[in-house]
Amino acid sequence: MGFDTRIRVKDLTVWYAGHLALNHVSVDIPDRRITAVIGPSGCGKTTFLKSLNRLIELQQEVKVAGQVLIDGEDIYGHGVEVTHLRKKVGLLLQRPQVLPMSIYENVAYGPRIHGTRNRRQLQQTVEQYLRESSLWDEVKDRLHTPASRLSIGQQQRLCLARALAVEPEVILGDEPTSALDPISAERIEQKLQELKGRYSVVLVTHSLRQAQRLADEVMFFYLGDLIEHGPADQVFHRPQFQKTKNYLSGRFIEEPKIHRELDLRQSTAQGEAIRAVGGELATVAYGEVLKILGNELTVADGLPNSLRSAGHEILEIRRLNKTDWEILVQKGTDTYAV
Amino acid sequence: MMNRRKLEEQLVKALMIAATLVVSSSLMLILVTIVWKGLPVLTLEMLTKTPEGGYYLGKGGGILNAILGSIVVGLAAIALASLTGLPVALYLNVYLGRRSKMAVAVRFALDTLWGIPSIVYGAFGFTIMVMLGMQASLLAAIITVALLVFPITVRGMDEVLQMVPDDLKEASFALGSTNLETAGRVVMRRAFSGLLTAVLVAFGRGIGDAASVLFTAGFTDSLPHSLFGPVATLPLAIFFQLATPFPEVQARGYASALVLTAIVLAISLACRLLMAGSSRAQSK
Repeated sequence: MGFDTRIRVKDLTVWYAGHLALNHVSVDIPDRRITAVIGPSGCGKTTFLKSLNRLIELQQEVKVAGQVLIDGEDIYGHGVEVTHLRKKVGLLLQRPQVLPMSIYENVAYGPRIHGTRNRRQLQQTVEQYLRESSLWDEVKDRLHTPASRLSIGQQQRLCLARALAVEPEVILGDEPTSALDPISAERIEQKLQELKGRYSVVLVTHSLRQAQRLADEVMFFYLGDLIEHGPADQVFHRPQFQKTKNYLSGRFIEEPKIHRELDLRQSTAQGEAIRAVGGELATVAYGEVLKILGNELTVADGLPNSLRSAGHEILEIRRLNKTDWEILVQKGTDTYAV
Repeated sequence: MMNRRKLEEQLVKALMIAATLVVSSSLMLILVTIVWKGLPVLTLEMLTKTPEGGYYLGKGGGILNAILGSIVVGLAAIALASLTGLPVALYLNVYLGRRSKMAVAVRFALDTLWGIPSIVYGAFGFTIMVMLGMQASLLAAIITVALLVFPITVRGMDEVLQMVPDDLKEASFALGSTNLETAGRVVMRRAFSGLLTAVLVAFGRGIGDAASVLFTAGFTDSLPHSLFGPVATLPLAIFFQLATPFPEVQARGYASALVLTAIVLAISLACRLLMAGSSRAQSK
């Protein structure tokens, strides 16, 4: 493909408190490209990302096996200075976390702890990276005001400037736009596009659209397994594995058309709820979809199984909030009475 | 059904309001009592002079010995407790993880220490003192009060540091910071006002405690002048004056209580003003 491998992951396995979070992941991440990491919540995306700069080790009872080679050096090897490693690998979090100091100090923090003392040099660095993240014009007159006063979108750009100021080689993003308004999100996306000319970018994202807009390479995780990876075009348009197809299509297919709705949120007895659903299903045609709203007791616990055993198909079970659940049932063609 | 729930709601609300009133009115009552009984006899002489002969029988002089003694003991003890406590609190929150077993054990130990009555610290300090062949002294009082406020200081700081989001620490680590840099430049800065509050709470507790200085500080009518000599403290001065049968001396006891309360209030206010000033300066 004409691009060098920047990060080589070999057989990376991570356990949290005995629970397997990443299962034998091996993958090459190319230099000067954006690699998007996608997959449902809890699939190991963030675990994967945080094992690339060993931030994962801050968690309790975590065990890491396998290798992550950055520029040929195993970052989990003996004698690796973790502060050095993290200087090489910049990170953008989901919610921007500005340090409790001024805008200037936020950017100067990194170079300072890594040994830059010269004032003029620090000033230059701060200006350069604030310009780089398109924040300079907005903040140049108030560099010494607390960074916490910036809007959240500006804060995320400040975090980007701060990350770039330690001159990393790799940029990691953990859903860096998901907490931002659309305009701020777009600016961050633009920046990432520009940055990939010089860095390798690994981006965890929940948004398939964002992955499609930005990614050159895509990795799809499911329950700790790396299911599929490859060029974005291939993964999005010709996925090889059923799980990838399901995940991708799950997002792109239209939401199921709902023919009837049944609200059981006030109901208190499970038997009553099941009878009500049975009655309602009798009124819809085969193949049509009934949406049921209810609470944990009446709907989420037991009802799906009794519907399944009656031959209906459960399309979705979703928790709406603390008490309410939503179930989509498609009336089966071959049903018994519930 | 609805009626019962509504009734429940109103009943509980009424109870809460009643409880709030009882607590806040007893606080008011204490303040009113010491002001009402103490303020009339509070003179400049009381604040600026040491007791003259027969002071406890109603003759002239003041409680400057106890005021200075308490301030010295309180400040030195809180300084000692903070200097040893801050590293403990930082260690618990930056170096150890959230669910570390070590951290759980340390917190349990501190909570237990917190619950030990101050007279036990006093007795403990006294035993050590006797073992070392020391007499009741300023130094012994400082150490004993420091022991008393140490768990309060550390747990107070610990609660504040626990509020610092993990993401902020991660952001700092991700830039290549060491634990020390994260603790000192990021976590402490973020939690600064809370840390100060924790220290103030502990200071208030320490300066007002009588039992811990009862055996260890001794008492003297002269101003504190040596670490190894006895020192007067306000709680004991209050006790001695209230314990006399003379109404005018008892009134001075209330005046002394007023002074003690005022000192705690003044230091707390001063810290807050300083803090507001520095954050304004920072935000310019």
